[in-house]
Amino acid sequence: MNPFDAMQNLADLWNKGGKAYLTAQQGLFTGMADTMAKAAGLGDKASFQGFTPDTQGFEAARQDFAKLWSSASELSSALTRTLKADQANPQVAAVLAKIFDPRGWLGATNEVDQTLQRMAEGPQLADLWNTERKFIAVFNAWTAMRRHSLEHNKVVLEAWMKAAGAFAKLLNERADKGEALESWREVLALWVETANEVLLETQRSEAFLSTQRDLVKASSELRLAQQDLAEFYSEMFGYPTRTELDDVHRTVTELRRELRAFKRESRASRPAVESTNGAARPTPRRTAPISSRSKKRTRAAKAGASS
Amino acid sequence: MSEVSHAIRIKPEQAIAEAKALGEKIAKGAKLFEEIRDEDVAIATTPKDEVWRQDKVTLHRYRPVTEQTVKTPVLIVYGMVGRYTMADLQEDRSLVRNLLNRGVDLYVVDWGNPSRADRWLTLDDYIDGYLAECARFIRERHGLDKINLLGICEGGVFTTCYAALHPETVQTLVLTITPIDFHADAREERLGFGFINLWTRSLKPEDIDRLIEAYGNLPGEFMGSVFSMMTPMRTLTKYNLDLIEVMDDKKKLLNFLRMEKWIADRPHHPGEAAKQWLKDLYQDNKLVKGELELGGRKVDLKAITMPVLNVFAKDDHIIPPATTQALRLCVGSKTYQELPLPGGHVGVFVGGKAQGLLGPGIANWLAEHDRDAAPRHVQQ
Repeated sequence: MNPFDAMQNLADLWNKGGKAYLTAQQGLFTGMADTMAKAAGLGDKASFQGFTPDTQGFEAARQDFAKLWSSASELSSALTRTLKADQANPQVAAVLAKIFDPRGWLGATNEVDQTLQRMAEGPQLADLWNTERKFIAVFNAWTAMRRHSLEHNKVVLEAWMKAAGAFAKLLNERADKGEALESWREVLALWVETANEVLLETQRSEAFLSTQRDLVKASSELRLAQQDLAEFYSEMFGYPTRTELDDVHRTVTELRRELRAFKRESRASRPAVESTNGAARPTPRRTAPISSRSKKRTRAAKAGASS
Repeated sequence: MSEVSHAIRIKPEQAIAEAKALGEKIAKGAKLFEEIRDEDVAIATTPKDEVWRQDKVTLHRYRPVTEQTVKTPVLIVYGMVGRYTMADLQEDRSLVRNLLNRGVDLYVVDWGNPSRADRWLTLDDYIDGYLAECARFIRERHGLDKINLLGICEGGVFTTCYAALHPETVQTLVLTITPIDFHADAREERLGFGFINLWTRSLKPEDIDRLIEAYGNLPGEFMGSVFSMMTPMRTLTKYNLDLIEVMDDKKKLLNFLRMEKWIADRPHHPGEAAKQWLKDLYQDNKLVKGELELGGRKVDLKAITMPVLNVFAKDDHIIPPATTQALRLCVGSKTYQELPLPGGHVGVFVGGKAQGLLGPGIANWLAEHDRDAAPRHVQQ
């Protein structure tokens, strides 16, 4: 298989996936506004647009996901067929076919992650698929982050739905009591207060915390995969890599740490002659900490250098 | 849903009046926005001079404005999450000015703007390194054995640790909105309180490691978004309700914009120090357990034997009162006093009501516990 064709297929898949996710989320928010307006007994959904959830939105999202699933499956099949036709390296082809399976992207298992990890860290066949492997890692990390983002958004949207329900219930109760809200300010204040309470409760739920944790983790993994790819090209073109810069900064930090410790020791052993760097250079008046503590700190500084 | 529609009965004249008032407010606000310049919303304007510098850390001394009533100088230490400028937001909402006006000799340490290059700096470096150096500099400058420390939030943890490690150099310890028992939020169970504690505990230690590995530090924007999550509706309505509410009143609008300026100025937290902050403290609660190690030494809170004033906000959703009041049972000091104030985490510093309570409360307490101090003279 021509690697460029494979990358083109990947790019197409990526684009289609992104569009489908976008459409899904747009559908959610439109549906939210519609239902919120209905719940409040209002005809004008524009008043609540942007912060009102709806089950129809979820259905639209599901349908969009189905479309994504279908297109992704088609592309996956195409890629797998192409890869199988290319028998240059059946092992790599089989692994890639597995990665291209959308069930792996959207499933909750870590099988794909493990496969990727094996690919990234396991024995490699000379230079074969090195570049593609890094692109696939980025693509997979991006897909994982979008998936976790949608899962987290669903939890938040459910909270909005709950808030809308609570708001409608409060309005009903007021109507029963004959206590009508007489200004938009009052309506807004009641909505803000109600939604705030529901959102705060949601934030403490296991569903919210666990999906957000997954999202944070996925975000980190995506960035690390991007960095890995960037390092690959940096090395190729002779630019310093992030890893190399981190190494330099670590060395500088350790040297500064040792210098501070050395200065402290020096001050402790020469009570009458001290100096401070910086704007002011006062004449020292007395000696700072005892030498035994200073030695302890030197040891500690060295130990800390490895942290 | 017919009942729902019955619950909203907005009279046409009421709706027209509301729309008219809103229109006038926005028109006046737009004019004010046109007139306001960046210098109008300057923060931290109290005059001060840089007196010491090491790497990105600078130490400043505020210029005195009146006769000194507290003999021992006070070093203000803010944390890495946010910036010290909160203590000097504007002229009439400034802890710094309130203390200066009461004759307190003030220093403040500015940690600078840590970048990815500072990824490897640890809490040990900040507390046992830079902070210790600042304290040493002030002591030598004034010919004193001890100085007063005033810690704010994470800076309160820094000063607490420093005081425990070097008690012989601390005259008094003043803490404000400082977490000590990072798990005590669970005891309060107030909705919306202690979310950062809960959120951090929901992460796995390796998630934090990966986050730091990916970004090199704890990005300021990231922590900003976590803070925003704590007040979800406030965050959503800040610009389309709160701002509109104040935009036709120049004084209130400037207050709002200065606060925005402070919020936007959120430095990155150096990576290794952030790992310690989130894992050792928020997750493992090592400080209150006596298990935190800095510079190879255990931080023993019982070693804090100097007088302690612990100031907290009764409605602090970021540092719930129980998390800071835990200090009472941990310190070795015979003089431990609490000063609970009305307001929230930031409001206790910048709120109108707090101005008459926070500064005077701290200044009076310092004067009361500063009787034994006797400075020789100040090196200029």
